[in-house]
Order: sequence, then structure tokens, then C-alpha cells
Amino acid sequence: MERRNFLKGLGAASLVAVTTPTFINAKEEAAKAAPKGPNALSYDNAIRVIADGKEIKVSDKVDLVVPEIAENGAVVPVKVNVDHPMEENNYVKAIHILAKENGNARCADVMLTPLNGKGYFATRVKLAKTQDVVAVVELSDGTFLSANKSVKVTIGGCG
Amino acid sequence: MAEKRRAMVKIKPKKYNVGDTVKVDFIIIHPMDTGMQKDKKTGEIKPAKYIDNVTFKLDGKPFSQMKVWETVSTNPYFSVNLKVPGKGKITVEYSDNTGEKGSKSKKLKPKG
Repeated sequence: MERRNFLKGLGAASLVAVTTPTFINAKEEAAKAAPKGPNALSYDNAIRVIADGKEIKVSDKVDLVVPEIAENGAVVPVKVNVDHPMEENNYVKAIHILAKENGNARCADVMLTPLNGKGYFATRVKLAKTQDVVAVVELSDGTFLSANKSVKVTIGGCG
Repeated sequence: MAEKRRAMVKIKPKKYNVGDTVKVDFIIIHPMDTGMQKDKKTGEIKPAKYIDNVTFKLDGKPFSQMKVWETVSTNPYFSVNLKVPGKGKITVEYSDNTGEKGSKSKKLKPKG
């Protein structure tokens, strides 16, 4: 009796195992199909890596300059100016540039020293679509500041 | 691979004195391939090839260090400031994810 029930249970379980995956896996399959670059990393995870849980304060001391509309998402100029001294024990230690909706949210980081004279960094990035560009600034005392601006992209920057 | 990439180090403005803060630009011809695009001729995916590190040095001592991802534009451009301490030589070194390395230098020549 017990063996028969056990086998019945097995049969029912295998039926369930065969039928439910179609709902669960559809989303996974779509995610697998989307092309992933070598360094795919979400914005939230990138922030975790950069600030390790520390508070990041939005500050107008971080002047993030980006175009409002980028005609070509493959070449978007980004400039960051930080209103902060660059002295031996008080300086802008790092500027991180991120793009919130890119498959890899990280674009470029610069580690600065007092010899730079100013907390400034500029580069050109690819934006896959309209999104926020974010500058996360690390000061020598361990404080994190940030600024973000939206860039409208008419032609996406990843090909 | 012995081919040297075209690269430029520019100091702005052209005339500066000791103590001035100048802008140091580096631009290099490099594909910055993300590894997700197809070659239009062969239809095959172009492997990722992008600059991942750039170091700005003054007389051999690093004063700015960059970490770069494939999300930076093709023929990348990078710019930082430098408070001119005196005469010297600026060298920008780069490396990419395939192990390619190179550098470009420019003399720092303050007028006064």
C-alpha cells in the first residue's frame, strides 16, 4: 500500500516538475538571450562595489557636465568638476563615472592626487539609451558625494 | 604586436608658469570594442578589446590613475588637471584587456 502511494506521489511530483517551468523559465530565457558584455554589472551592484554600503550624499559641490541631448549615444562627453581643495591631507581622491541603464554601469574611474591641483576629470562615454549619468566622488576623508544628470539619447551607443 | 597606436598628449594652455593649473589631455586611436558587436563584413562577433588602465605620470611618478571599461567611447579621450611644479616630462601609459601596452610623453615646459 505504502509503495503504491509513494509511486503515485512520485508521478504527481514529476507532472508538476514538467508543467511549471514554462512560467518560471520564460523570464530567465529572455535574460539569457539579451547580449551580455564581458563586465555586465548593474548600477546598484556597481555602487556597492564603489561605496561598500557607505552613505553617498548628493551634493552641488559636484558639477557634472553632460549634454541634455546626445545626438550620438556612442560619444557622449562627460566632465566633472569638484568644488573641494586638493591639499596634502584634504583632496578629491577619486571620481567614478557611471551610466545607470548601461549593461555595465561603470564607465571610468580616476584616482587623483593633490598634484592635480583640481578635482577634475573628463572623458567620453557610450550610452545605450536615454538614462542618468552619475558621478560618484570620493574624498580623502572617506566621504562620498554624488551628482546625476539625465541625458536624452537619440541614437543608442552600443551598435 | 609592434604597431604603435596613434596617441597624443596635449597640455592646455600652451603657455603656463610654475604654480599654474593646466589641463592635460590624452587621446588615443583604439577601437574600444565591447565584445557585443558583429563585424559588418564577416558577421562574426568582434571580441572585446578595450583600454582598461591609463596612468598619467610626471617624471616617472603617477599623479592620476584611471580604471576604464568598454563603455568608454572608441578613440578614447581622458583629461585631468596638473598643478605645474616645474620643468618635467609627462608620460601617459595605457594597457588594454588583451595585454596590449603603450605610452606617449610630452615635456612640461613652464615659461616662468
